[in-house]
Amino acid sequence: MNISTRQFENAAIVDVTGDITLYNTPEVRKTLLDLLKEKRVKRVIVNLEKVKYIDSAGVASLVEGLKLSRDLKSGFALYGLSKTTREVLELTRLLKVFEVYDNEEEALSAIPGGAGGAK
Amino acid sequence: MPAQPISKENTSGKSADIAISVRNLRVRYGTREILHGVNFEVPAGETLVIMGGSGCGKSTLLRTLVGLEHPSEGEIWIQGKNFAGMSGTQRDDLRKKMGMSFQSGALFGSMTVGENVALPLREHTPLDESTIDIVVRLKLDQVGLSGFENYMPAQLSGGMKKRAAIARALAMDPEILFFDEPSAGLDPIIAAGLDELILKLKKAFRITIVVVTHELASAFLIADRMILLDKGVVAAKGTPEELRQNTGPRVRQFLDRVPEPEMAAEIDYLQMLTGENPPQRR
Amino acid sequence: MAFIDNIGEATIDGVAYVGSLARLAGGAARAVFIEPFRGKPLRWARAIHQAMSVGVEAIPIVSLISFFVGLILALQGAYELRQLGALQLVASAVAVSMTRELGPLMTAIMVIGRSGSAFAAEIGTMKVNEEIDALETMALEPVRFLVAPKFLAMLLMMPCLTTWADFMGVLGGGLFGVTSAGFTWGTYFHATLNALELRDIASGLIKSVMFGLVITAVGCREGFNTGLGSEQVGRSTTSAVVNSIFFVIVVDLVFTAIFYFTAPLK
Repeated sequence: MNISTRQFENAAIVDVTGDITLYNTPEVRKTLLDLLKEKRVKRVIVNLEKVKYIDSAGVASLVEGLKLSRDLKSGFALYGLSKTTREVLELTRLLKVFEVYDNEEEALSAIPGGAGGAK
Repeated sequence: MPAQPISKENTSGKSADIAISVRNLRVRYGTREILHGVNFEVPAGETLVIMGGSGCGKSTLLRTLVGLEHPSEGEIWIQGKNFAGMSGTQRDDLRKKMGMSFQSGALFGSMTVGENVALPLREHTPLDESTIDIVVRLKLDQVGLSGFENYMPAQLSGGMKKRAAIARALAMDPEILFFDEPSAGLDPIIAAGLDELILKLKKAFRITIVVVTHELASAFLIADRMILLDKGVVAAKGTPEELRQNTGPRVRQFLDRVPEPEMAAEIDYLQMLTGENPPQRR
Repeated sequence: MAFIDNIGEATIDGVAYVGSLARLAGGAARAVFIEPFRGKPLRWARAIHQAMSVGVEAIPIVSLISFFVGLILALQGAYELRQLGALQLVASAVAVSMTRELGPLMTAIMVIGRSGSAFAAEIGTMKVNEEIDALETMALEPVRFLVAPKFLAMLLMMPCLTTWADFMGVLGGGLFGVTSAGFTWGTYFHATLNALELRDIASGLIKSVMFGLVITAVGCREGFNTGLGSEQVGRSTTSAVVNSIFFVIVVDLVFTAIFYFTAPLK
């Protein structure tokens, strides 16, 4: 798994490539919490286009990111969910909890905390 | 949420991948042989139900599949690896992809329900405590035990213990799940709930599931394939439909719930009672 | 011939038993001393918890028993020494018997009763409830997981408890010395220190470590060997106590003999 960050004006996109599993998810968690807590990024967007598979621990890390963003009143969104990722989120009943977009443009242009986007 | 079976080893993801393959398996306790050469395969993502009467060897078969008993002969291949012939660390690596739910639950009595579910994650993964807490709540929610993480196992009912044990078996997102008598000793409503849970796990996570049971209704509901064990040999195997059509006398006797016939001749019975001619046990 | 057969069988069983103890202790030692350096961390929290229950919680009873044993030693010793008009030797008699023999031994007996039996009961109950099997299927090695923390706790706490027991025994002897043999507390302790050599204390502590090893191995071995059914846990607990006492006495004899034959003449 690879993870990298792109900074935008008032958002950061985290690109994840590969499977997110029990063994590498702490890296994802650290990146997310670091962006939110230390760098005080207003809006963190996770790009899951190149993630074929995410397990419960990976989902749990995303939940942690979401929780922290709510505490800090910043934004947190996901986009580019593969079919399996979508299924995993559906089964954990989290698809509606996250702010989910189809692609990068939508995720960047959406109004943070707005009504739209969730699918 | 477990990986699609064998996704790491085989990226082509063929549905015909074999998760478990058992070849000529023989198991003995001391001098008594329990399994006399058992053969079967479980394709990845399917549910196999092992049925049979008491003492037919089905529990022994399950214990051997998870490596708690050692075969005296034969092979067990799990995800294309020779499980029975493996050394300690390799075996443990494979075991981390397997989950087992014991008949009694086998929860650790000195730990809370949450600590039970967290244990494999704490011991085997680099996850932070806060992540583990969330995974634990996710798993308990999946088995309908949200809010019970601080209970001790002794405070739970039998059905809740079993569900907590399933949550623990799911903690590491296993690719193969084993159940020993999931509905034994539970009331029909809770038993039906467990069947539904097994179906959901199979459908949603595409886990390979092996269930040992003697509850016929439950077996036919959850199985893709079935094996009927009788006195340590496979008496019949196939899809539930094939087993329903099977006309073998032992199969019919088991499925139609016919009791064992009484001993034929009075003289045999007399000899048995007086100990002159003890019945032959295998 | 049947008699000889029986002796042969008993011998084989005995050797097999000692073998199983050695395997268990070896596995635990590997988990404590080697595997932490190979990325399999020891369960420190568990070891500390065990050390509390093995050691700290045993202090009151060990103190009381050792105090009484010291007092008894003084009384028994004085009975003989009085005839010889050497009542002042009672301090050294108590000091040497306590540190070399009775401190470690009485501590071991107390620890067997409190902890050896508890190890067997804990592991036995886990065995009956399929918890040991569950550990194995979760790729958690029962010896590393359950025995290693107990092993470490025992190796650390036995010498500590024994040292404390030695001190309490001397105190017990002192009570007699001060009230009935013309000592003051000051002269009694002075006499005790003069009588003791480092060798006396060290030999007792070496024994105590060996006792700790034996008690852990026997307690856990009996636990793992528990048969099916909860009434078997009681049986395991009993054998853990009886066998531990037996093996502690045997180890005591062996080490006492070694110390005797290797000691320099005064």
